[in-house]
Amino acid sequence: MRHTDKSNSVWQDEEVREDNSAAKTISALKKAFREYYFYQSKSLEEPSKIEQREFGYMQFGQQGMLRHLSFKSMKELDAVFVREAPSDVYCSNAYYEFPTGQPMQEKRWLGADLIFDIDGKDLRMPCVPSHSYAVCTQCGAASPPTHEEQRAYSCSSCGSNKSDYVSIPCSKCIDGSKIEARRLIDYLLFDIGLERSAITTYFSGNNGFHVHINDNGFVSLDPQARSDLVSYLSGTGLTLESIGVRKTNTEDLFLIKFPKSGLAYGWRRRIAEKLKIDMTTAIKFRNIVNQLGGYDAFKVELEKLAKVMGVRIDPQVTTDVHRVFRMPGTLNSKSGLSKIKCTNLNSFDPFVDACLLADGKINIRVKTPVKVRLKKNTFNISKETAEVPAYAAVYLMCKRLAEAN
Amino acid sequence: MAGSDLAKYPFLNEAGEYLRESGFGWEELERPDMKYIIDRAAERVQIEVDGKIYDKLERYEIEILTFLISLVIVKSIGMDQVLRKFALAEARRAEKFLTEDLRKQNENKNGSLIMKIFEDLFKLRIVVSEDQRLFKVKVIDYLARASHFHEQEWKLINRLVHKGYVYLDADETVRLIRNELSVLIYDKVRAMTLPTLPQSINLKADELRQKLLSRYERRLSPVITEYPPCIKHALEVMNKGDNLPHSARVMLATYMLAIGKPLDEIVFMFENAPDFNEKITRYQVEHLAGMKGSHIKYSVPSCDKIRNENLCFATAQCDTLINPIQFGRMKK
Repeated sequence: MRHTDKSNSVWQDEEVREDNSAAKTISALKKAFREYYFYQSKSLEEPSKIEQREFGYMQFGQQGMLRHLSFKSMKELDAVFVREAPSDVYCSNAYYEFPTGQPMQEKRWLGADLIFDIDGKDLRMPCVPSHSYAVCTQCGAASPPTHEEQRAYSCSSCGSNKSDYVSIPCSKCIDGSKIEARRLIDYLLFDIGLERSAITTYFSGNNGFHVHINDNGFVSLDPQARSDLVSYLSGTGLTLESIGVRKTNTEDLFLIKFPKSGLAYGWRRRIAEKLKIDMTTAIKFRNIVNQLGGYDAFKVELEKLAKVMGVRIDPQVTTDVHRVFRMPGTLNSKSGLSKIKCTNLNSFDPFVDACLLADGKINIRVKTPVKVRLKKNTFNISKETAEVPAYAAVYLMCKRLAEAN
Repeated sequence: MAGSDLAKYPFLNEAGEYLRESGFGWEELERPDMKYIIDRAAERVQIEVDGKIYDKLERYEIEILTFLISLVIVKSIGMDQVLRKFALAEARRAEKFLTEDLRKQNENKNGSLIMKIFEDLFKLRIVVSEDQRLFKVKVIDYLARASHFHEQEWKLINRLVHKGYVYLDADETVRLIRNELSVLIYDKVRAMTLPTLPQSINLKADELRQKLLSRYERRLSPVITEYPPCIKHALEVMNKGDNLPHSARVMLATYMLAIGKPLDEIVFMFENAPDFNEKITRYQVEHLAGMKGSHIKYSVPSCDKIRNENLCFATAQCDTLINPIQFGRMKK
């Protein structure tokens, strides 16, 4: 018979305890998500032409996504939600003849809705370090924000130097994303000519916004055409020639020759207004370019200017015509908040309007002192354990800052 | 439709109808006075395959017949490259006339014809701009076409865009449909079934085929001596052990696959990545190479895509490129 080392068994106890709390957390999250899908199924939005869409979902505690699924109706989908209590649900922006077909080309692509993703993370807001918690990727231990840029990490529990930074977005972060969303909508309305009714803005469920376009004209556009649209919206690839600065054969020399079609609209107008020039002020324009250091230097400046004036959207999401994208009305497992339609973007408060889980109490053990404001209640938890409403408990567990106790 | 219009646009169905109505039959090509037409047609093919435009314009009866016989000659030459060049040149020939007609469209009667050609053949609706100086096409119609052009000036951001329309001059408007026009002519020839042809046409076709065969012999691709700046940058980041975004890794791997680097070497280019796992990397590179999963070989992302993903570090040498794979290749 084998002798069991005592220290080893102690270590196993520890592991069992960790396993237990992980299992408890998963079960608490599943319960809360299942309740949401059971009681709040009205929040779910039926995707148009549901039978032509591909669906996918992820499960708590399991890796990878179950994809290539198809549903004939919301009823079928609701049943899966309540049965599986998925952590995240995705629906294709694409329409397919055979949504379950594999590999991709078997699906027979019919078209795809135009979609945009604005992710707060990409805005690199200066406030982020002040509300980002380091969570060890090895043991899950969390440490409070440091108010500094990410520095070398070393876990105080296990010594690992790998961590994820988990942000609890502040109102500045949300406002930053709102500015981008508003700017995107302006471009879509006034330049691209979309009807207001064709544009739907959703809170992503965590830290950003998704803009969905319902306009048949765009459905057939291929990735290249979408990529060109992305360049337009994000201010990438604007040439000097298009606003009237032309390079001559001699090095760095240029001349001002405004385009025949003028500067009245679009990016040309934006840049002209910014530089305070028009079709009659060629000399002034030449001086501006010279002051900035000539053709090449002005080119660098213009690129910067256009980037600042453009919208920060994720180019991959818009150009991918086979993407599965978070389904409206479902919960986001990064936060437990819903991806929900914003009828009024200005007054939209994700921590109230997208916080739709129940109020029943859950006992949690926080890994680090945390502060979060949800449904207009502030939770400032410094003790190790606390009993808080389900919506707050789920939020902190999703953020990996707490575990079910 | 006026006969003179058919001479300019002989690919229109109306031109075929005209021939049918006039009772034209293939046997007529044997007539001695047809030699003039056959010679003209052969000349047209020769000029256009050389990359120039055949711009002679005679009586429409002659033009329509010349066009038809040039299609027959190209068909019997039977070389795809020749057909492509011919179709493109024919498209550019028509483009020239379309531009002239479009420019004149405000002053005259031909306005409706030109708009009809665009709408019927290419489903492209053109509207005259408010100040009558320019033409407007819908943003969607523009994107569907111009996003496949490679020059920066055609990028939507470099255009006058307002309320769902892109404002263009006559040349630019017509340029939008050049490819479709060329495909239309290409498909027309592909769909043709040839009757037994008169000897005179066969001889012309044989003669042209002999001349053109040598031109299209396979060219060898030159050796790469230097990586493009985007690839260099990605390699530098990788060598430093910094984290390279997924899109950059795809770019790097597809590029290396495209220039024929051995798979093992490519896999180990990623060994400094903080999350390197040989098994996963190998699977991913094999996937990109079309050996796994969907069995589709991924191509190197275009410069446009790389620019959008902020992975572009262009130098002057990149000026005319549309894909990093072209970098450093000698132009012939």
